Amino acid sequence: MSRAMPEPGENTHRTEPDPRVTGAIRYAQDVELPDMLYACIVRSPYAHARVLRVDTSSLPADVVALTPDDVRALGLYGCQIKDQQVLAVERALYIGDPVAAVAAASPRAAREAAELIEVDYEELPAVFDAVEAMQPGAPLLHEDLAISDNDAAYFGMRPEPQRNVCHHFRIRHGDIEQGFAEADVIVEETYRTPSAQHVPMEPHACLARWTADGRLEVWTGTQTPFNLRMDLAGIFGLPQERIRIIAPPMGGAFGSKTFVRYEAIVACLARKAGRPVKLVLRRDEEWLTLNRHPSTIHVKLGARRDGTLVAKQVTCWANTGAYADCGPGVAQKMGFASPGPYRIPHVWVDSYCVYTNLPSNGAFRGYGATQAVWASERTMDLLAERLGLDPLELRLKNVLVDGDRYCTGEVMHDVHFADCLKAVAGQIGWHEGRRGKGLAVLLKGMQTPSRASIVVEANDDGSYTVHCATAEMGQGAWRAIRMLAAEQLGVPVERVHFPVPDTDIVPYDTRTTSSRSTYMMGRALVEAVRQLKENGELGYGECVNEGGLDPDTGQGIASTHWHQGAAAAEVRVDEETGKLEVVHLHTAIYAGRVVNPPAAQLQNEGSMIMGLGSALFEEITFAEGQVTNANLSDYNIPAADDLPRITYDLIERPGAEIHGLGETALPPVPAAIGNALFSLGIHVRDLPLTPERVLEASERRRVRSAAPV
Amino acid sequence: MAAMEIHFTLNGQPVAVQAEPDEMLLEVLRRELGLRSVRETCGLGICGACTALLNGQPISTCILLAPLAEGCEITTVEGLGGHHPVQRAFEEVQAFQCGYCTPGMILTIKALLEEQPAPDEETIRRALGGNLCRCGCYLKIVQAAQRAAALLAEERRRQPGPGAAPVS
Repeated sequence: MSRAMPEPGENTHRTEPDPRVTGAIRYAQDVELPDMLYACIVRSPYAHARVLRVDTSSLPADVVALTPDDVRALGLYGCQIKDQQVLAVERALYIGDPVAAVAAASPRAAREAAELIEVDYEELPAVFDAVEAMQPGAPLLHEDLAISDNDAAYFGMRPEPQRNVCHHFRIRHGDIEQGFAEADVIVEETYRTPSAQHVPMEPHACLARWTADGRLEVWTGTQTPFNLRMDLAGIFGLPQERIRIIAPPMGGAFGSKTFVRYEAIVACLARKAGRPVKLVLRRDEEWLTLNRHPSTIHVKLGARRDGTLVAKQVTCWANTGAYADCGPGVAQKMGFASPGPYRIPHVWVDSYCVYTNLPSNGAFRGYGATQAVWASERTMDLLAERLGLDPLELRLKNVLVDGDRYCTGEVMHDVHFADCLKAVAGQIGWHEGRRGKGLAVLLKGMQTPSRASIVVEANDDGSYTVHCATAEMGQGAWRAIRMLAAEQLGVPVERVHFPVPDTDIVPYDTRTTSSRSTYMMGRALVEAVRQLKENGELGYGECVNEGGLDPDTGQGIASTHWHQGAAAAEVRVDEETGKLEVVHLHTAIYAGRVVNPPAAQLQNEGSMIMGLGSALFEEITFAEGQVTNANLSDYNIPAADDLPRITYDLIERPGAEIHGLGETALPPVPAAIGNALFSLGIHVRDLPLTPERVLEASERRRVRSAAPV
Repeated sequence: MAAMEIHFTLNGQPVAVQAEPDEMLLEVLRRELGLRSVRETCGLGICGACTALLNGQPISTCILLAPLAEGCEITTVEGLGGHHPVQRAFEEVQAFQCGYCTPGMILTIKALLEEQPAPDEETIRRALGGNLCRCGCYLKIVQAAQRAAALLAEERRRQPGPGAAPVS
């Protein structure tokens, strides 16, 4: 059952105009306090260098400076591995690593002051590629790797600092040698995906102040208020309750506004200044803050003559840059997404999260699945070609159905991969001819384990207030939760308020990531509303999902709830220029039950459009660790006139539970487009699919077909 | 650098503000006039998040030197009041997610529809080339522009006057 696009005019009965159309919405960058100062960061110009001396003697007297000496005694932090200090104290590890900061009376005064700080460095050898960084003799980034006590470190990590590895995740399912021995056909390929920038329209922005009684208050655009509070508590040696995080709506995030970004630097400046300090990043600094993991992925896939998959071996190298951030989690999810939603008796996966001297890479819409699906689903088409099978039939023959075991050992339930594949194939006209067409399917885990909790309070005027830590970044979570509450309370949605989350007030929530919030909070809400109806005043509910994987075997519960989808693309290629044109893109996403149709449609359209950018042109370029396209002129994101025909199905089932869909449609898009190219005989291994790469692959095919057999 | 005073009409009201001679209009609108609907993203005049109308035409305030606004009429989304047909259309269609680019989109579409009351989809997409939306709301933004064109046409029908003359 698919839901059609809504008619204009449907679904809006509000009297007050939405603050997004009047400009009245206030983001983190708009928060102001009296007497506040403005911060600016001083960054390393070297990819790897010892910090010898930071000289602030030229600064005007009214400028507050933060130097390594100010932060040396503070705690190490990191949401999964404690590998970071507030500033680079001993060594700067990437071009852009903060080594000092200033606070001044205006943004301009701060920028000017930052230029007056002189830093002496001793340059050290650097490494930028993840595979090279694991080789003997490569420069080592971190000597000790302590596992974080933050609850974002939710799985066993296997760091190997002597070869720059912060996590090595394995899946050991079946006997891989026996599996390949049983295979009639084996295909093997290596793929690369580049780093990409989230480009939230609103840059990172935060403001900190210390109260007279020594509490730290931070206003910041964050998807992770509680994880942030835990790390700040560790840095400043404070009990968590002495720190208050207020999380205004964000002008986009896409994974970038997670964990500690600049909040610690701003808090240190505010403490030293005795005044509130605010930082709003310049656009180019976004590329020096957090990006998507570049990956190298090797896939070996074996099957019987009839297309039955028997063995798959995958090695992933996820380049996490200078600091781990949540890279171990990304590498793990990349690892367990890479087998794909198939029944395969013998699966081995080794996924390495590797330090290099690049800016840190972390959560990015798709969270490892984009890279994994590119490699995995491109390989399925290589296999289909080798076997002379229809790529759709090959997938349908092997795809997981309810009751099957995944390679993690967990039994799959409520899975609809075949439906998604059939839907996209139908919409792209697969059966009328496959030339120029390609498809791809995805399974993506939701954060497991995690906990969501929520309080619903009855107000004197008959309205209700929801106290909930879920972050709003444009995905519509606040409205979805209000709609669910209103439905259960039997009142119009306007009578349910959702104040800006404040950790002094809202109960704990793991974080707003992995498309979990509507599903998890929606379940927590049921109990909260039940309690409120009982006592008429206040109700509390929580939802816990339990599970996790053994990092050495990959066995356990990867996800209690799977995001499922498929994409299909139709393309045209100008073989003279390599220009690739996507004519039509269709996705089918299993949505279970849609709460707010326009928001769900927007999330899916946005995922597809972001996937299109990743497929066709988004790539951060580096020269010896220096980002060379840190602006929106050289780094392009999709615009309205770049789009092909875009259609999709949000598949619902009567009585089904809610399925998060904030990022499901993104990962299969590049692979579907890559497979459409492959149907024309053009095999491109690396993203994005630039005219240069398409032309080169097209030339390679001509040479190959011209060669004597 | 010595600050200078500049004068312009903002959302119908005359204003006089202090600005540095090398400052961009965006900074002045935000700092001196407290407008928050004009927002910096690219800082290069590419993304349109800082869009205002200057004498009715969309411009990127992040690359317009503030003194060049002297004597001009500047309109921001705050000046539309909240119930302008383009704003109503955005609400009806729900053509936004985070809302950061929305004021710029609304102003660009307002200017487009004043020049071309019934643009086709292709024309709308091309007109939006200078307004980026990272949430990827473009399909619904185009729908909102079409809906706004219909609402404006309805308004013209209801209030015949000099503005209602058909464009030849």
